[in-house]
Amino acid sequence: MKLFTKAAMTAVTLLSFAIGGSAVAQQSINDPARDALYASLKDRSVVFVPVFMGLDLTEGWSKMMARQAEKLGYKYEVRNSNFNTAAGAQTITSLISEKPDVLVVQNPDVQSYARLLKRAEDAGIHVLQLNMKTNILTTGFVGADVVEIGETQANAVVNHCTGEGKSGKVLILAGPPTSPFSAYMLHGYENVLNGNDKIQVVSVQSTGAYESAKAKSITQVVLQQHPDLCGILGVWDNTDIGTAAALAEAGKTNDVFVSTSGGGGELSCKGIRENLWQHYVSYDVPGQARDLNDLILAALQDKNEVGSTKTILYTPLIEFTADNVDQQSCWTLESIK
Amino acid sequence: MSQTLKKLRYKYWPDHIFGEILQKPWMETAVPLIVLIFTIVFFSAQIDNFISANNLSDNFRQAAELGFVVLGISLVLIVGGIDLSVASIFALCNLLVLYCMHVWQMPLIGAVSVTLLLGAALGAINGILIGYFRMRAFLTTMVTLIVFKAIHDLLNVKVAVAISSNFPDSPAWDRMGYGAILSIPTVVWAFGILAIFTHIFLTRLRYGWWLLAVGGNRRSAYNTGLPVNRIVALSYVASGVLTAASAIFYAARLASPGADTGKGLEITVLTAAILGGIRLGGGKGSVMKAILGTLIILLITNGLLRMATPAGTSRIILATILLLAATLDIRWFKNRHKAVQELYVSPALLELPGLSKDATSPDSDYAPNERLHDVEIIGLGQVEAPEDVVLDEDDNLYCGSRHGDIIRFFAPDYKRHEVYARIGGQPLGMTFDAEYNLYVCVGGMGLYRVTRDRKVELVTDETNRHFLSIIDDSRLRLADDLDILPDGRILFSEATVRYEMHEWPTDALEGRGNGRIIMYDPKQNKTTTVLRNLIFPNGIVVASDKQSILFAESWNCTIKRYWFEGPKKGKVEMVIPNLPGYPDNINRASDGNYWLAIMGMRSQVFDLSMRKPGFRRRMSKQLPGDEWLAPNINIGCIVKFNEAGEILDVLWDRQGINHPMITSMREHKGYLYIGGITNNRIGRLKLDDADETYVSSGKYHVG
Amino acid sequence: MLNLLRGRKLDQQIIVLILFILIFLSFAVFLPGFISAGNILTLVRSVSVLGILGLGMAIVVIGRGIDLSMIATLAVPAAWVMTLAGAGYPPVLAILAGLAFAIATGVLNGVLVAYAEIPALFATLAVGIGIAGIGQSGLFEYDIVAWPPALDSISWIGRGVILGIPYSILAFLAAALVVHIFLKKTRMGFFIYALGDNLLAARITGVRVRPIIILQYVMASVIALFAGLVLAASSANMDTRIFNLTWIYDVILVVVLGGIGLSGGRGGVWNVIIGTLLIGTIINGMTIMNVSFEGQNLVRGMVLLAALMTDSILNPRNEETAKQGDI
Repeated sequence: MKLFTKAAMTAVTLLSFAIGGSAVAQQSINDPARDALYASLKDRSVVFVPVFMGLDLTEGWSKMMARQAEKLGYKYEVRNSNFNTAAGAQTITSLISEKPDVLVVQNPDVQSYARLLKRAEDAGIHVLQLNMKTNILTTGFVGADVVEIGETQANAVVNHCTGEGKSGKVLILAGPPTSPFSAYMLHGYENVLNGNDKIQVVSVQSTGAYESAKAKSITQVVLQQHPDLCGILGVWDNTDIGTAAALAEAGKTNDVFVSTSGGGGELSCKGIRENLWQHYVSYDVPGQARDLNDLILAALQDKNEVGSTKTILYTPLIEFTADNVDQQSCWTLESIK
Repeated sequence: MSQTLKKLRYKYWPDHIFGEILQKPWMETAVPLIVLIFTIVFFSAQIDNFISANNLSDNFRQAAELGFVVLGISLVLIVGGIDLSVASIFALCNLLVLYCMHVWQMPLIGAVSVTLLLGAALGAINGILIGYFRMRAFLTTMVTLIVFKAIHDLLNVKVAVAISSNFPDSPAWDRMGYGAILSIPTVVWAFGILAIFTHIFLTRLRYGWWLLAVGGNRRSAYNTGLPVNRIVALSYVASGVLTAASAIFYAARLASPGADTGKGLEITVLTAAILGGIRLGGGKGSVMKAILGTLIILLITNGLLRMATPAGTSRIILATILLLAATLDIRWFKNRHKAVQELYVSPALLELPGLSKDATSPDSDYAPNERLHDVEIIGLGQVEAPEDVVLDEDDNLYCGSRHGDIIRFFAPDYKRHEVYARIGGQPLGMTFDAEYNLYVCVGGMGLYRVTRDRKVELVTDETNRHFLSIIDDSRLRLADDLDILPDGRILFSEATVRYEMHEWPTDALEGRGNGRIIMYDPKQNKTTTVLRNLIFPNGIVVASDKQSILFAESWNCTIKRYWFEGPKKGKVEMVIPNLPGYPDNINRASDGNYWLAIMGMRSQVFDLSMRKPGFRRRMSKQLPGDEWLAPNINIGCIVKFNEAGEILDVLWDRQGINHPMITSMREHKGYLYIGGITNNRIGRLKLDDADETYVSSGKYHVG
Repeated sequence: MLNLLRGRKLDQQIIVLILFILIFLSFAVFLPGFISAGNILTLVRSVSVLGILGLGMAIVVIGRGIDLSMIATLAVPAAWVMTLAGAGYPPVLAILAGLAFAIATGVLNGVLVAYAEIPALFATLAVGIGIAGIGQSGLFEYDIVAWPPALDSISWIGRGVILGIPYSILAFLAAALVVHIFLKKTRMGFFIYALGDNLLAARITGVRVRPIIILQYVMASVIALFAGLVLAASSANMDTRIFNLTWIYDVILVVVLGGIGLSGGRGGVWNVIIGTLLIGTIINGMTIMNVSFEGQNLVRGMVLLAALMTDSILNPRNEETAKQGDI
């Protein structure tokens, strides 16, 4: 706010100089777009409805959105549904009558909010979907191409496990069976693994709601049955801490190749360095947040009918391995400036 | 000055209503109501537009959806069970109705009925397991929660894509989700109708009472022959159907086959039900409680979400509110009856004028004598508590008994007796009409008639309710004495509307105008209250002009006259202002005067205490009931008076051997028959100068 | 085995024992790789935390209560211990702080149930929500807390192996022993049975029931903290979001399946062990068979239902003896 006033004051002063003192030798010219932009952003509001807070993904996104809002002088608010889809639906319902300018929604799945999001757009609210999109497209979507994550992970495992002396046995630790995120990723795995004769998928098990304890016990059971297990495909880094713990206890850390994915937070680099996993696909939360901020700005400036343009931005993926981990910068909340 | 203030205070300050309000059954719901009001006040102060049309409509829509499930679980809780599986039933029904509408494109009616059937079927599984196999509700529904959820998850993966890639073309379906009638959402209408029906079901219909009976005491319900198993089973079916209904509206609104549909619903609805004051363990609960609980939980969660409260903080706030509300409600539930006990008795200021001279002194109008000492005794030990006596045209004697019967003693010697009719409540005042049907005021029951062929019929047990009354004064609590007009109308007194018959000493202690006079018109079969706020109106007799009655106000120690028609209609005049005792029944004498029974004598202590309501209130709060002051009714007399209020004659039994208390007397063919509510006998006294053909009741009088 | 059964009534405990043996034997015969020492240890290890929680729950249930806040008490105080230790506090201090937190939770539960007389089901549910809320509102940076290196000196409780037996199994056995001694050999333990069986009678005979109710919730909370530390050490992190899951139902089932009636006063540590083993066997076998997650839930649910049904058919409740208010 202060920044904005200051900027406006400076702009006014400069402008009067420009008119009054055109005789001055070195001319300073104000960017004609900026005043209008800043003025138009004032008192606009953006609301973020995440599935959860308190994990690196959402905290990272939210922090960057909040920073931009603070800088540009619009309102930003988080309404946390706290893993409760019904609560999220309630929130969006009441937001439709509150009418913020932009609604950023992290969908829990493909369907739950679809109809509400359409109603929100019909009511004149720009809806940006984050991380998971419903089957109804709205003004914008920012998130990873999840199938591609799966394919990237599976390729890494294939590379490792089809070599000389490898059993080719692979364990897949999926997320909740009903989660599209996990289902898309499984699809990516299948795209790669199904065509490969040397790979044998010994077990596909759900870790429940991404429970690391469950990942651990499944891994232990499968290791009992298949001591020559070669690779594990995990859906999410936090879950695979359990996977790694099981391997460490069995003394198999160096025998089994673990590939996982996540937002690229500090855990990702730590996991590579401590040999919890050997391959990591990051969907780069700060990058996603930047995309999101751009779409928010675009939406705030959009004068057309809501929903007349629909933009999908898939996040470029980054692979972390022991070889490149030192060149990668794993972000932390502190590092998001 | 202070005396005037005191008078004004006791005249206008409605002490009695606090106890009466507190004693109402709906006061059990006070705590949830207060919590709800606080919630609304708090959030409307915190959030702009919290009470806007849009927000209210959103909230009500969700509340109604949730309400269906809360109502369902409430029924189960009332029966003494619990249903955790609602969350999974909800999810399955949501999936089914969406599949019917989106994929099969079924007509709305079809989809809805199939889904309701599924709800019923899933509920029936619980019901059969718990009702018939007698499995434990908590565990069984917990396991079915897991099983149904697993089935849902298996199916969800297979059908979710199909559901979300098709859309039904059904305006009716959309109206269910978002429509409104008279700007009230459809779902609220549906829920409202259902809630009203369920309320009537639970409070007015037999099957609803069965639910409460099974929940209240399963063993007794079983022993009284209720089909306990079936009732328990059906409550789960009801819960399943209601959950299905909720899921249908949810599906119509969101069209979402989301994987975690219904997750945690069992906790939410259980919380709502308990917040509303429905108790775990059964037997207690109402629709209103379910609705209040639903609104509280929904407004709190929605309000916290709208305030963008961080998730952790909202959970802490939610938990704190839940615990405070539950603690308050449980304290309230446990202690309300104590508060009622303390507050209900609300003594009034009653200033009886002092007696000009001692009633027992020889020169008093009431100078004692022994004329009742040698009365003839009828039915000694064969009758208990004959409050009133009456004789028919064959001189047979009728009286009531404490056991709820009417006893007939046969003329001429009154040695033999039989039970003439069984009423079931204690008969008080009695009289015959022209056809010798016996009309009886029955304590706690109302006005009854025993026909000549001994059929007991209800005449009336309710009157019009006063619009300001808090306790239900439409029911007759203590009909006391009556008389019949020549045209068949019946005037009777109801001594008090605040106490039961056995609590009459408490009414005396209160000394408040709790009684009334009621008229029953057989031609229109209509009962109306004609005179209110009388202090224990007791005896009643039609006066000589047939346009007025004389009636006794016991604790006020007066006889008054009231004109119910004619030129003085509506007027009340004093006849005898300051009796030395408490008047009871009045009856005609053969010489055109009136007999009055005085059931007990005033004492200075009690008179003084009646002038000190504060003293009596402290007494009623601090002492147990059997240590309270009570009017003396150990000795009484019979008085003859005329319409001018002059005392003409007095009959005493000073030693109180034959008639320690007298509540009525009736002159019949030269004899006076004497009844008393604490006596075990009836007295008969030969009157010296009386008309030996005179009959006080029946054809002779009425004709 | 049959000798053991002879002359005993077929109660819930025996039914579940038979069911366990049947399932175990059929897995052993038909499922290659099931009956190996390694797999049996894995089986027990995978349910040891559940078993420990079950022991805590058993104490409360025997005292005719229920503690739905156990998962929150498992997650939050344990995660707090880890956060404190990670932030540089001495491990002993961190553990003491966590212990104080757990005890406070237990006391709160107990006071609400014993003195405010709120039904245990509701009181502990609300307390659980509150504890989870406290955890979420700033005790930790993220909802998932990593096991800090500072606590590595005690990480063996969930991770290590001694003489081929994993420590988490030993932790379960140790907890079982302590709870067994408490319940069967101490006066307080007897009192818990007494008040679970008949609270009024216990009160009339002079047992101060309210402090004992508090004690039983405190014990459950402390055991939950212990289970939390074992779980965290084992999976190298503590995901405090497990509060959102339906874990608590598993805990109750383990307890009740084994034959500890919810109406209180009956059962002991053996019942918990049998219940835990049954659940562990089912999960283990189905994981080996690569049955899907939902399929596992379905089968597990059906087996539980069968166990409960058999019991109620063999030992039907009768209207005359059923306690009023039992749910």
